[in-house]
Amino acid sequence: MAIIELADVHKIYTLGKTEVHAVKGVSFEIASGEFASIIGPSGSGKSTILNLIGCIDQPNSGVVRINGTATSGMSDRQLTTLRHQTLGFIFQSFNLIPVLNVYENIEFPLLLGKTSVPKGEVRDWISYLIEQVGLHDHIHHRPNELSGGQRQRVAIARALVTRPAIVLADEPTANLDSKTGQSILELMKKMNAELNTTFIFSTHDSSIVGLTDHVIRLLDGTIVEEVYQKADRDTEAMS
Amino acid sequence: MIGVILKISARNVWRQKKRSFLLAGAIAFGMFVITAINGLTGGVVDNIRVNFSHALGGHVFISGSEYLDRGTIVYRIADDEKLLTALQQNGESIAAVTRRSQAMPSLIFGSRQAMQLVYGVDFQQEDKLLGSLVVTGGSLKDVTNEQLIILPRSVAERLGVEAGETILMRLDTVTGQRNVGEFVVVALIEDQERYGISAAYVNRGYLNTLVGLGLEDYQALNLFLTDMEQADALGQSFRAALGVPEPKRLAEVQDMDDEEAMAAMFGFTRASEVEPWEGIKYQVTTINQIMEPVEAAVNALKTIGLAIFIILLVITMVGITNTFRMIMIERTKEIGTMRAFGMQRGVVRNVFLMEALLLSAGGALAGLIAYGLAAFILGRISWDTVPAMQFFLDQGRITFTASFREITFNTSLILAMGLLAAYFPAKAAAKLSPVKAMSSNL
Repeated sequence: MAIIELADVHKIYTLGKTEVHAVKGVSFEIASGEFASIIGPSGSGKSTILNLIGCIDQPNSGVVRINGTATSGMSDRQLTTLRHQTLGFIFQSFNLIPVLNVYENIEFPLLLGKTSVPKGEVRDWISYLIEQVGLHDHIHHRPNELSGGQRQRVAIARALVTRPAIVLADEPTANLDSKTGQSILELMKKMNAELNTTFIFSTHDSSIVGLTDHVIRLLDGTIVEEVYQKADRDTEAMS
Repeated sequence: MIGVILKISARNVWRQKKRSFLLAGAIAFGMFVITAINGLTGGVVDNIRVNFSHALGGHVFISGSEYLDRGTIVYRIADDEKLLTALQQNGESIAAVTRRSQAMPSLIFGSRQAMQLVYGVDFQQEDKLLGSLVVTGGSLKDVTNEQLIILPRSVAERLGVEAGETILMRLDTVTGQRNVGEFVVVALIEDQERYGISAAYVNRGYLNTLVGLGLEDYQALNLFLTDMEQADALGQSFRAALGVPEPKRLAEVQDMDDEEAMAAMFGFTRASEVEPWEGIKYQVTTINQIMEPVEAAVNALKTIGLAIFIILLVITMVGITNTFRMIMIERTKEIGTMRAFGMQRGVVRNVFLMEALLLSAGGALAGLIAYGLAAFILGRISWDTVPAMQFFLDQGRITFTASFREITFNTSLILAMGLLAAYFPAKAAAKLSPVKAMSSNL
């Protein structure tokens, strides 16, 4: 079943007197639990599509459905609640909150919800995530006391803390060296497998798409190629 | 949610220590200034009230006059049965009673003379009066001499007399005869003429003899109360018992001429309206009535203080608004991140408002602490060497009395203005589009 569905989506930005057609009639579906990538050069519309899926931007036309619900026409409050309940975000420049330490940064999205979870349960879950991202020795460190790779690990744990159905990662490895970037992707893949969370990440690095189940290749705001690698890998494994 | 808002706001305030310190410092300065003005004026009013009561010999003053057959008015309370009954009924509220006579004689020394109000007092019962007088010459250690006089320094200078010397007092008796008495100046005291009190003090018995009253007669019965706050209530009770009409307040006599106003406020009979009466006609005055003009002047000072405070706050508000605009720009990406993770607009706004509230509250608290310290230090300094100030002081020391109501009002004003100053930047921050905030290069 498709957890994300885009149908003939257009997005136009106005920059002064110029109109930029960032996304031109894009349509695709992403199934639940997929580890998908959106690939393309700079300006191809990767981030715009992630913003549309992440409900922090709205299309000019077309339909974006998250878990079967169309996002167009929703109020800001409804979109914010949808983001909180369904989506997690990983950013290229980490975007951790500088005044909070590792534990508090990870805990932060949980505090924004209205549902009350027992404190012990929250502590166990955050400790589990910290363990998974390998930062148990840095729990009380502030972001400025961490390396780039460590910050991105915190961001991954933070994205997963609300147990979202979907995690969106906008070029999560762009600010990291290749070795650290590889380890971050492996961590994301591991969490995808363990928690069955749908991961979608954008990248301009074609060499790392081998890890993903579903590749959407963009150029100038349109899809030029869409590949389901998981099915191919499953077929190969069976034969 | 309030816990999250408080936590993030507190850390945000703390992350820019220098900036927060400067803003809170400006607020603290404003709070310090207004509380110091309130505290100082409050303390001065209290001290003037206490010093007045000591100088005048009580908190409630009852005087009496008789209308004689030949048309003369004699100020004395000869038959005090009615008064003593009222005194007995209110006994619980009264700490001490003093009886006084008074005259306006000419004091003569050599070829010089001066008119001066003279109180006849019982020195043995007037320890509060003796304690409140600021002696600039001579001594009050021995007040047993029947013919002693305690003289204001300014009068002594006009007469050219010094402590230890003898002067003459020329006066009219209650029946219009002229009489002369001899007095030894035992002490010179600081004059309080500019504050409405300039009196010399002599023994009541000797003064009574000179003015033709009986030894035990008196013209005024003054009451020291156990609680000064009860002065108005007790005044009312005595007026009811002695058949004295209730006086008008200062605000009620603004449109009257001076004579009419004095008559309405203190029960004086206008010279043109004197009509014969039977028995003793009483006047009951309280320390609060006497203090009303002083308090009106102090309130004017407090209003000026409040105006200065508000100007300071407005200047600080502009600073807070500009700082919060800058903060909003600095934290654009952070706001976008928080919005992406599901922080509602209202919560973003409240984080900013809470920061302003914390800064304002911190500033107000710091201002109050600074005020407390200043009051403590200044209160330890003795100003005994400055006689002119004594009337404002409590035994030579400055006292500060800022009321809880004033502190609460000023603190609330600071908090409200802090919130108002941050409201528009906070609203703008809450309105930021997440996608624009996230794409910010800041």
